[in-house]
Amino acid sequence: MLFTRMMEGNEAAAWGARLSRAEVIPVYPITPQTEVISHIANFIAREEMKAQYIKVEGEHTAMAAAVGASTAGARVFTASASQGIVFMEEALWMPPGRRLPIVMCMVNRSLAPLGGLRPDHNDSLLQRDNGWIQLYCENSQEVLDTIIMAYRIGEDRNVYLPVAPCYDGYFVSATATPTTVPDQAEVDDFLPPYKHEMYNLMPEEYEPIPFYRPIAESRYEVQQAHERAKRVIEEVDKEYERRFGRSHDGLLEEYACDDVDAVLLTMGSMTGTVRDVVDEMQAEGKRIGLLKLRAFRPFPTEELQKLAEGYHAIGVVDRNTSYGSAGGGIVSMEVARALYLLEEKPLLVNFHVGLGGSDVTMRQVRYMAGKTLEAVEKGRVDSMVDWVELKDLGEVM
Amino acid sequence: MGLNSLFDEYYEKSFIQGGTTCCPGCGGPLLWRIILEILGSKTIIYGDGPCAMCAVRNIKLPNFNLHFSFIADTATGVVAALAAKGREDITVVSSGGDGATADISLGKVSAAAERNENMIQICVDNEAYMNTGIQKSGLTPYGAWTTTTPLGKEAPKKDVPMIIAQHNVPYVTTASVAYPKDLQAKIRKAKGTEGFKYIHVVIPCPTGWRFNPAKSVEVVRLGVQAWAWPLYEIEEGFLRLTLKPRQRPVEDYLKAQNRFRHLTDEQIQYIQGEVDRKRERLLEFDGKRIIL
Repeated sequence: MLFTRMMEGNEAAAWGARLSRAEVIPVYPITPQTEVISHIANFIAREEMKAQYIKVEGEHTAMAAAVGASTAGARVFTASASQGIVFMEEALWMPPGRRLPIVMCMVNRSLAPLGGLRPDHNDSLLQRDNGWIQLYCENSQEVLDTIIMAYRIGEDRNVYLPVAPCYDGYFVSATATPTTVPDQAEVDDFLPPYKHEMYNLMPEEYEPIPFYRPIAESRYEVQQAHERAKRVIEEVDKEYERRFGRSHDGLLEEYACDDVDAVLLTMGSMTGTVRDVVDEMQAEGKRIGLLKLRAFRPFPTEELQKLAEGYHAIGVVDRNTSYGSAGGGIVSMEVARALYLLEEKPLLVNFHVGLGGSDVTMRQVRYMAGKTLEAVEKGRVDSMVDWVELKDLGEVM
Repeated sequence: MGLNSLFDEYYEKSFIQGGTTCCPGCGGPLLWRIILEILGSKTIIYGDGPCAMCAVRNIKLPNFNLHFSFIADTATGVVAALAAKGREDITVVSSGGDGATADISLGKVSAAAERNENMIQICVDNEAYMNTGIQKSGLTPYGAWTTTTPLGKEAPKKDVPMIIAQHNVPYVTTASVAYPKDLQAKIRKAKGTEGFKYIHVVIPCPTGWRFNPAKSVEVVRLGVQAWAWPLYEIEEGFLRLTLKPRQRPVEDYLKAQNRFRHLTDEQIQYIQGEVDRKRERLLEFDGKRIIL
């Protein structure tokens, strides 16, 4: 261990990149990601970090340069947010198809219009289908650890996929929480240098990639890589815990779920608030727990199915919108599909909250927990989705 | 049989495979053959989408390609990775078509020039989006017919080499496949120069320019002789004309292609006036520094 101190999420991300020995870092600044790159710039200026730091002219170029560098065999780190992620959308489809283990922090921020600088998850969830692994983090420590783990996961020969550690702007990016920075030698031991076994662009070892091949075959390979990634994410988390003494529960974290009737399912920074509320409510005798969805891609279908058999209701908290969807937020639709095959299905309650980065308050969490428990009591769900912020919450449980 | 074995022998040694997916008379494979003879085996090539890619696809050296919107940026990443790995022995070539270079990725080429990325950026200019079916680009010349300019293009060709030169990069040049020795000398110079090198080559496109494929080289040569595509280089800011041919009327060049067949005498005169003005300026600046 190098040291422990209070650290903002963005500085923790910079430490993650530094300790992972990222070799090429093409980046473009955007609020609330900017401190990640200024910290990296300072690391390099002070010669504490050795990397090719490319100050590109836009996010599209940042991801394109990341693709080039990764193809040529370098370990690549970058970070973006919101409009930047959407601007690089075209390039974001390249790394999964080319099986490039790039790591990019997605610092969640709502999208314009009808958004602001503060976070919701529509920017990263828009990347739902393009093949990136997405791991949602709750605090600075998790950001740092997840970046180091992300390289191990992405560079695993059974995976070879890009990984996006996602964390909420401001609530994580600019909020200092106690963070332990591991020793470089320990990280080096955990994370060996990157060498892609599938191809090499160097002229002396180059073998042409077949130009024409069935597209379905290639896509199936990416899908299979996602399936295998589930196991790898769990294994890497376990090994990380063995070496560094910290686990983040791999795909899915069950918090205080012994003997509960229902759970709230969350992603990102709001999880901390929900932990406190669950503790309070359990002390009051209410049977509510918490499921923290850490991996949105690959989606932990089997793991969720296994856990869901123990609950009568799941209240999915969606910090995103999907206009005109089959019903409710993006996460709830994933959960619904995952649970559809169960014979004994828990009730599915869905909430929109924290949109555009508005605070998710303890009062709102109590309301959502209450509504979920109420569904258990009634044996039915009243509405497809509940827009919590538009409600007069009145008396909550 | 004798002829076949000659071809086999040639393509055995060449870095480009025999047989391409290009149209007959395309300047692309010709261009790459000329270039690769100089660059040699320690080269990584990034090419954009069609048409430039049709030729790049047949190159035996490490190469990959993305879409028009990825010019000079992916190659930037390759350059950085090579620097990180201490592989300065490898030349990185980034190739883009005219639409890619002058339109959708001009900002990217400009940014790579500003950063002085150590790469050779080649503009493979056949003066329109040919693979999508002959649509006007920023490098389509004034008056040319395309499927999106059925009455002829209203605006002149963008002067991309001069735009890039003003970024104060070490080397900018124009070239033509009709003058392979001149082109090869420029490639050699680019290979031996550190930093961002920009090479702009007009290649013939019989399909889009509307002429007999057998006349490909002849037609682009006429363009150079008419000073419609003058050959020069700008080294450390100093301009030098590498070829000063006796000027032929631009009409000879225009009449050789059916994309110009609708032009009126007035339009041809206008084009001649523009060519003359540009020629005079180039001759005036020959040997002088042109960067402010």
